[in-house]
Amino acid sequence: MVLAVELNLLWQLIWSSTLAGVGISALFSLVILSVARAGEARRAGQGGGAAAHFALAAIAFALFAAGVVLGVQTLLDK
Amino acid sequence: MAHDFVLWIVVGTALAFDFTNGFHDTANSVATSISTRALSPRLAVALAAVLNFAGAFISLEVAATIATGIVDAAVVTPAIVFAGLVGAIAWNLATWYFGLPSSSSHALIGGVVGSAFAAEGSEAVLGSGIVDKVVVPALVAPLLAFLVGGIAILVAYRIVGRQRPGPVVRGFRLGQLVSASLLALSHGTNDAQKTMGIIFLALVANGTLAADADVPTWVVISAAAAIALGTYAGGWRIIRTMGSRIIKMDPAQGFAAQGVGAAVIMAASHVGFPLSTTHVISGAIMGTGAAKRVSAVRWGVAGNIITAWVLTLPAAALAGGATYAVVAVLGTEDVGPITVSGLLLIALAIVLGRRLVGGRTLTAEG
Repeated sequence: MVLAVELNLLWQLIWSSTLAGVGISALFSLVILSVARAGEARRAGQGGGAAAHFALAAIAFALFAAGVVLGVQTLLDK
Repeated sequence: MAHDFVLWIVVGTALAFDFTNGFHDTANSVATSISTRALSPRLAVALAAVLNFAGAFISLEVAATIATGIVDAAVVTPAIVFAGLVGAIAWNLATWYFGLPSSSSHALIGGVVGSAFAAEGSEAVLGSGIVDKVVVPALVAPLLAFLVGGIAILVAYRIVGRQRPGPVVRGFRLGQLVSASLLALSHGTNDAQKTMGIIFLALVANGTLAADADVPTWVVISAAAAIALGTYAGGWRIIRTMGSRIIKMDPAQGFAAQGVGAAVIMAASHVGFPLSTTHVISGAIMGTGAAKRVSAVRWGVAGNIITAWVLTLPAAALAGGATYAVVAVLGTEDVGPITVSGLLLIALAIVLGRRLVGGRTLTAEG
C-alpha cells in the first residue's frame, strides 16, 4: 500500500514537472519568436502580420504569466 | 527550562546553519543568471536574498519539519540537535570550500541521524524515513530535472532556432529575471523552514514550548534573516561551478534550466514529494547541456558533484556522530555544547578569514 502511494506521488510529480517545465519553456520561446516576427513584419510594412504576431505573443505571455502565478500559488498553499 | 543557555547555543547554531544554507545554495538561483549575463553578480545575489527572505514567510508548515520521520522524536535532546547541526555545518563548509553543490537538507538530515545514532543507538534512527526522504528523492530529483531540462531546451531551440541571435538572447535574459526569482522564492520557502523546524524541535525538547504550539515570530524572522544574509554573502565557489564549470551555457539553456528547476520544485511541493533544490537545478543544468551536445557537459565535474551527493548523508552523519561523542565526553548538559560551540566559532573565523585568499576548487578540470 505504501509503495502504491509513493508510486502514485512519483507519477504525479513526473507528469506535472514535465508539463510545467516544458510548457513554461515553450510558451516563453513562443513569446520571443512572435515578438521577433512581429518586428520583422512591421519593418516589412506588413501591419496585419505584425498585429497577428503581437496577438500570438500576448496570448503566449498571458499563459506563461498564468503558469508563474500558479507556481507562486502552489508555494502559498503549501 | 534548566538548560536555557544550551538552548540558546542550539538556536545560534541553527541560525549559523541557516546562514551556511543560504550562501551554499545561492548558486541554485543565481548561477545561471550570472553565467548568461542576465543579471550582474551583486544584483543577482541581492534579488535572491530578498526573495529568500520573503519566501521564508510564505509557509509555516512546521509539521513538515526536516527531522520528522527521520529520527525518533521522543529521544531528541538539545545536545543531539546541536551535534547534528554542527555535522551539517561542517559538511556544508567542506563542500563550499571545494566548490561542490550538495544538498543542505541532506546534510542536516545526516547530521541529526549521526548524532541521534551516537546518542541512542540504531533504534533512534528510522530507516524507512531515510529511504523516503533522502534516498528516493536523491535518485528522482536530478534524473527528472535532467530529462525535463533536456526536453525543454530542445523544444525551445526548435521554436526560436531560426531567429536572429540578438532578440533571442535578450528575450531569454529577460525571462531569467522571472525564472531566477521563482527559484529564489521557492528556496526560501523550502529551506528556511528547516531551520524554523529545528529551532522549534529544540524549544520543545527543552520544555520551552509545547509540541502543539505555534512557531514564535522571532523564530520566523531570525530564520528568514539568516538565510537571506547567507544568500547575500554569496557562495561564489559554487556559483562558478554551477554557472560555468558543468556546461558553458547560453541564455536559452539558462532560462530552461531555471524554468525547469522551478517547475520541478513547485510540482514536488504540490504533490508533497521532498526534493533537494540543489539536486534539481544541477540536474536541469546538466540536462540542458547534454541535450545540445552530450560532450558539452564536463562529465568529470558532474561526477565530482554526484560523488558529493552520495557522500553527503554518511559524511554529515559521521561529523554529527563525532560531535555528539565529544559533547557526551565533556557533558551534554552545559560544558559539552559550550566548549564545542566555542571551538566551532574559532574554526569558522579561520575558514572565513581564508576565504579571501581562495582555495583549490576540486571541480576544476585539467
